[in-house]
Formats: sequence, C-alpha cells, structure tokens
Amino acid sequence: MTVLILTGEEDVTADMVVVHLNASGVPVIRLDPADLTASAALSGEFVHGAFRGHLSSGGRLVSMSGLRSVWVRRPGTPAARAPQPSAWLTEESAQSLYGLLRGCGARWMNDPDAAGRARHKPWQLRHAQHSGLPVPATLITTFPRAARAFAERFPDLVVKPVSGAHPQEPPRAVPTSRVAPGTDFDAVAYGPTLLQRRIAKRADVRLTVVGDTLLAARKATPADADPDHVDVRFAPSGTPWEPVEVPPRLAEAVRSYVTGAELAYGAFDFAEDADGTWWFLECNQSGQFGFVEVETGQPISLTIAQWLGRPGPREPDHADGRRVPVP
Amino acid sequence: MQPFALNYARPAVECECSTPYVYDAGLQLNVLADGRIAASDLALLRELGTTTSTAGSKTHFDD
Repeated sequence: MTVLILTGEEDVTADMVVVHLNASGVPVIRLDPADLTASAALSGEFVHGAFRGHLSSGGRLVSMSGLRSVWVRRPGTPAARAPQPSAWLTEESAQSLYGLLRGCGARWMNDPDAAGRARHKPWQLRHAQHSGLPVPATLITTFPRAARAFAERFPDLVVKPVSGAHPQEPPRAVPTSRVAPGTDFDAVAYGPTLLQRRIAKRADVRLTVVGDTLLAARKATPADADPDHVDVRFAPSGTPWEPVEVPPRLAEAVRSYVTGAELAYGAFDFAEDADGTWWFLECNQSGQFGFVEVETGQPISLTIAQWLGRPGPREPDHADGRRVPVP
Repeated sequence: MQPFALNYARPAVECECSTPYVYDAGLQLNVLADGRIAASDLALLRELGTTTSTAGSKTHFDD
C-alpha cells in the first residue's frame, strides 16, 4: 500500500522522509493539489453501494483503496496552477480531493479537521491548560482598556500574531516582540491583539511529536543575549540546537495534548525559564522539523516515515473514514 | 487605524538565492547537479536553510 504526500516539489524537507520510505520499500505518490487539472488528476465513483477512487500525479496512478496513509505536509492551493485558475475552481478541487480522501480509510498526518482546529492559537492555549501544560498569562482583545489593565498586572509583555499569518502587499513578518513600558494601546481597537507575559528564558525548546514518540531539542539563550530578542526565528543564532530529555510530567501533558487534539504530528515551542519550567507557547500541527534534525541528528524524518509506512487500514465503516472501535 | 500588532511588523526577507537542486519527477525527490539526492546532504541543507522554521510565508502559517 502507498503513502500519499501532499506537498510541493520544492519541499526538500519532505524529501528527507521520502528517502526513508524508499529505503524501506514503501511505495510513495507525491501530489501537489496546486497541480490539479494540470499535471495531477482525480476520480471517484460511488456505484452499487461501493466507492472507488483514483489519483494520478507525475505519471503515477494509485487507487485510493491502496493508500495506507496521507501526509499533509505543504500542499499548495488546489488548482492554483490550472490553465484557468479561479476561486471557484479552487473550491471545487479542494472539496473533491479532500472529500474523496476522507472516505478512503487511510490514516492522516494530520486529519484535516483536527488540523484546522489545532491551528487556532486561542484553542491551543486553552487546550494546553486542560492538558496540564504551563501557559504564560495571555490576553487576546480588541479592548484598549483591557490591554492597559493587563499591562498593569503584567508589566513585561510581548505581542504576537494570533493566526501566525503574515501581512502581504508588501510582504511583512510579525515576529513576537517585546512591548515597551508606557506603550499606547489605542490601536488594539483596530485588530485582535495577543499580549503575553514575557518569559525570561534561558532556552528555547522545540519538542516534535510523531505518534507516540517525543523528540525534544533545546537552544540555550546566551547569557549576554538582548532581552528584546524574543523570537528565536529572528534572533542572532549563537548557540546550537541540542537534544534534550523531556521531563516525565511534561511528557505526560504533551501526550494528553496530542491525544485530545487528535494529532499524529505536532511541533511544540516552549520557553524554559530560570527554574527549568517549560512554558507552552504554541503547537504547530505542521511545524518544520528539518532544521532540528540537521542540527541534532535526531531521527525525526525516520520516525515520520515509520509512522506513515505502518500497514494500511481496512475498509472504513464510516463515510469520513472513521472505523467502528472493536469492543 | 493600523492594528496594534502591525506596529511590530518588519519587511519579510525574500530569499533571492537559487537552490542547487531540481525536482526529479521520476524519483519524486530533489537532486543535485551531480545526481545526488539533495536531502542526503545535510551540510548543504544546513547551509541553505531550506528546512528552517521561517516567518513571512505567503502561503503557509508560521512553522
């Protein structure tokens, strides 16, 4: 049975997994939804109470019943490269592709419904609290008065985007940034604003979860680091990522998080404070892992390949691919 | 009238570098000019930063 990888051609991080799948003899078909109606095609029929579906990409043809797993890695916008792209064609293509795949019974990394919910940072914060993870005091608001009151309670704050999306035209990035004392919060009224107590961190931690496996890496904050450099993605890179053990109680909370979120994969970001506490910042359900593996040598891509390559499921009992649990 | 968070925005860094590999549809992998698989060259990946957590993507959320 085949592993379907939804991603773009340029995704060299996905290549790291494909290499392992090839080595273990697991068939792979790689498809970018952006290529639908151009170099990718789909078909599904519902006849006499049965379903049969097929996908083709790059000259390969695969039956949907022959899929063991689907990895939603970095899929392009469906039909974006069609000869005559349109918002209508994108919606038609998205519903066709993902709708057909939902009925095929393959295991997902990650299930689209779970992934959609898990992208919401406010949901992440609440779910992390429920899971027993330490969450820094956070406020999301459009009330300037609420922001001012929060700043009085927690004078050392950072601001970050709620969605993780970035403004375009012109393209800009919005890093997590420290809010200076005395800042005017009037502009909070013009957009939901996420304010969070700054953790005086001694390290950043990236914890990658693949199924039941937890792989954590730690990047120490230099003693002379500028406290205004909050966002590790934008800070000068002075120290390496190194493998680190996950504290047992935190591991238990992380497993509770991914189980409750119904995620097969998640990339957690924590800030480690002076007491060694790992404060939950976010869990990106499709977070990058290549840079961690390259620096630490941790077998993340191998673990993903092993998860994807496990034997396929049987015929689903439900239209959405769920199976009736065996008592 | 600008949302508060955008006061902290900065221009996205557009990578103008070209990658030294191309996609091989037969292998379903990116390959280097000498035929080697790009993903097997960890030193190259580290140098290019193509597997790195980034910000400013037009098409995807932060990762």
